[in-house]
Amino acid sequence: MREETNNSAELLNVENLTVRFPVKRGGFLSRKAYLYAVDDISFSIKRGETLAIVGESGSGKTTAALAVARLVNAFKGKVQLGEHNFLELQDEALRKARAKVQFIFQDPYASLNPRLRAEAIVREPLDSLGIASPQEQQVRVNELFKSVGLRPEQQRLFPHQFSGGQRQRIGIARALSTQPELIICDEPVSALDVAVQAQILNLLRRLQSEMGLTYLFISHDLGVVQHMCDSVAVMYMGKIVEHASRKDLFNNPLHPYTSALLSAVPSVDKKRRAETKRILIPGDPPDPIDPPKGCRFANRCPVARSICKEKEPPLRALSSTHKVACHLVDEKAKSPLL
Amino acid sequence: MSLLKIENLRIELTTRDGIAPVIDDLSLELGAGETLSFVGESGCGKSMTALGIMGLLPDKIGRIASGTILFDGEDLTQASDARLREIRGNDISMIFQEPMTSLNPVYTIGEQIAEVLRRHQNLSTAAAWAKAIDLLDAVRIPNPKARVNDYPHQMSGGQRQRVMIAIALACEPKILIADEPTTALDVTVQAQIFDLLRDLGRQTGTAIILITHDMGAVAEMAERMIVMYAGRKAEDGPVDQIIEHPRHPYTKGLISCVPHLMASLSNDRPELVEVPGIVPSLKSFGRDECLFASRCDRADEKCRTQRPPEMSFENNQNSACWQAGDL
Amino acid sequence: MSLNQEPIDVARSPFSEAMEMFRKNHAAVAGLVILILIVLGGIFGPFIYQGDPFEMVWAPFSPPGEEGYLLGTDYLGRDLVSMILHGARVSIAIGVSAAFLTVFIGITVGALAGYYKGWVEEILMRVTEFFQVLPTLLFSMVIVALFGASLPMITLAIGLVSWPAVARITRSEFLRIRELEYVMAARASGVRNWKLIFKVILPNALPPIIVQAALMVGSAILFEAGLSFLGLTDPNVVSWGQIIGSNRQYILDASYTVTIPGVAIFITVLAISLVGDGLNDALNPKLRQR
Repeated sequence: MREETNNSAELLNVENLTVRFPVKRGGFLSRKAYLYAVDDISFSIKRGETLAIVGESGSGKTTAALAVARLVNAFKGKVQLGEHNFLELQDEALRKARAKVQFIFQDPYASLNPRLRAEAIVREPLDSLGIASPQEQQVRVNELFKSVGLRPEQQRLFPHQFSGGQRQRIGIARALSTQPELIICDEPVSALDVAVQAQILNLLRRLQSEMGLTYLFISHDLGVVQHMCDSVAVMYMGKIVEHASRKDLFNNPLHPYTSALLSAVPSVDKKRRAETKRILIPGDPPDPIDPPKGCRFANRCPVARSICKEKEPPLRALSSTHKVACHLVDEKAKSPLL
Repeated sequence: MSLLKIENLRIELTTRDGIAPVIDDLSLELGAGETLSFVGESGCGKSMTALGIMGLLPDKIGRIASGTILFDGEDLTQASDARLREIRGNDISMIFQEPMTSLNPVYTIGEQIAEVLRRHQNLSTAAAWAKAIDLLDAVRIPNPKARVNDYPHQMSGGQRQRVMIAIALACEPKILIADEPTTALDVTVQAQIFDLLRDLGRQTGTAIILITHDMGAVAEMAERMIVMYAGRKAEDGPVDQIIEHPRHPYTKGLISCVPHLMASLSNDRPELVEVPGIVPSLKSFGRDECLFASRCDRADEKCRTQRPPEMSFENNQNSACWQAGDL
Repeated sequence: MSLNQEPIDVARSPFSEAMEMFRKNHAAVAGLVILILIVLGGIFGPFIYQGDPFEMVWAPFSPPGEEGYLLGTDYLGRDLVSMILHGARVSIAIGVSAAFLTVFIGITVGALAGYYKGWVEEILMRVTEFFQVLPTLLFSMVIVALFGASLPMITLAIGLVSWPAVARITRSEFLRIRELEYVMAARASGVRNWKLIFKVILPNALPPIIVQAALMVGSAILFEAGLSFLGLTDPNVVSWGQIIGSNRQYILDASYTVTIPGVAIFITVLAISLVGDGLNDALNPKLRQR
């Protein structure tokens, strides 16, 4: 569908992004500790493509997305979008630049201001950024309602008068209003009923091909990710453990965590069930405030060796489309689990 | 004889707009050790059926209007409150979606498990405590002797759900109802919980009713399934057979609207099949028509004016669709 | 409601839905009606029922109904009807303006603390706590004693001791709402800070504040009555508390001189509570709805 082009087509380039939160530890007069929710991750997205970040709760995928959008502050790193480093912008410059990065939120019940009419919600970004005259704004709002599949007479309604799927459409229209270069979708369908999920996923893909949108797609659902993405980054405890094209990741997962994650997804496909060996990973992730010094997955990894507990594996490129952070993956690119 | 046999069950809910049949003419059978799954979107009556079986319908608002629920030959719809209390937890127990809020935060998990054992099985304090440790071990909580003194907030979501399962299994129930037990959990933890439920079911012969919206989970866990739509049974039968060949457009939609991981990765990704619209509101539940008609692309005049009867196919697959034979 | 299956495509704001719920609450509506009557009585009563409340019109201690004076006369022979009507003005004016002052200070402090967090919150909340632990009656007596017992001073005294409750409610609502996704969405859309505070978060934080403010009117009236009872009041205006205070020595001989203004206070505060409760029921579920 989309052709591979050279690196100059990269829209977003994230380098060494780190987000940390101060935490209170051990009560009164304790030393200051930090939770590194996102720990030194790098990735890039090509214009018009979709990068999915997958991971389980606590992996830092949502924090990473919020940091890219400057909705939480990064501790360090670079978010290069076009010619600026988004992380360096301040005040008015940042406010103006927000038009380029928009967000679609997970919970359609919490993401719309209950006191505003649907049209006002969609118009809010245009208003606050001073884009277009009131008449032009109205024209834009009309177009947006049409392209997300809402009727014009629904513009006057308030959020509580819509169903979950319709609310998510309003959220999408709002994100599109500023004609952003990057749209970050944070679990956009996980709060919706299954039948409604399909409507929203189809809408997102249709809008992408019509408008040439670029998505950063955050999800825990590998089925959805497989359907939506061009490439995938798998996160575990604040780190990217594997970053690969869609084909490489789903056909040839290399990190033991990715393999376990894929094998855990229940499937309706009898053949897949028969072919996939379930890899159960025991226990829980370690304490994120005081992570182990080696590989963070080592304590649950079925194939971990002593080196894994000693040294942190770097994210290595095995091919132009496949990077993995595991000591045990050799250059022949075979998963240590298989 | 089957362990649980429900016949023509009708549960009515009093709403602002009048009385709505949230369960309308439901019949099912569940044998010992079997796993049955209820599937459907929210608002289709999956959880209501479970509450009906447990005798936990919301007071004054919900009631069983007609039909029977035979458990081991005893009609639960006629049972007294005291008898229902005895059955709940002892013979039929239930685990819920939210492991974060279903444990009491001020008691240790050991106290909470032991309490159930003392109440239902009259065990002594020491015996109940010992059995609580055994149960934690059975649900694969590492180091149960130490963890038994933990408070709920000291455990992860997956561990709490395992504690809930331990409490549910404390009295060796004949039926375990699991209402979306893994929806709030990560997929790797879900795999652990499913694995655990499957093994426990096999070891103890407990029948499991799994309520879920995830067809993948159904395929993984259950032998038979019931697809519910707007309070009515849309389709039921053996899981593999229904997934292979659904005989109801709603079932078909539920299966194909989700992008599943398949054995081979497809390169072209066609649009997902959409089931347009949403589940109708309670107001229209009792009507003499196919309630799915407004969302169905095959619907004709007959679907909109007459409620479809159940049609049977091989291996006891039944579908309530006028066109089931053509599908 | 009929079994109409077409979706209702009439815009219904959360506010209009709340008002509809309020209308269905009979006790609250009754309270509102009583309150409106009292306010109208306070505003127009003195024009219709003319007479100076300070003037001696008849012999002292003339019981209600006798000699043509509906509620009788007090220890100085003043007409109680006239005093109650003029007193309504003062009591309600003090109640409302003290509540306004309370809400104004409380929202400002609470909103800044809840929105900016960090050291701003630390400082503002310490100040709030300082005012909260002051013995309220004593503190307001000091203010009135120092700056004189004029109506503005009494209002100020009441306002200064009551705002911490509003500040705390506002702050906790702000802390909750600022993390909601629609506020994030507004930030992602480049909405400015002051607009986030006043146009996005505050309107959604208002329901519990409105309820608190309504109840505050009642407690301000009671507070004023308490101060007046102790004689800490402007002798040149009549308020209900002052009528009770000045007649308190004769409570055994002419109990009606104390009972009548007491009943007036009681009915007013009760009506306000009913309205407050009604607002609470009407505003809460709608905004917590999912």
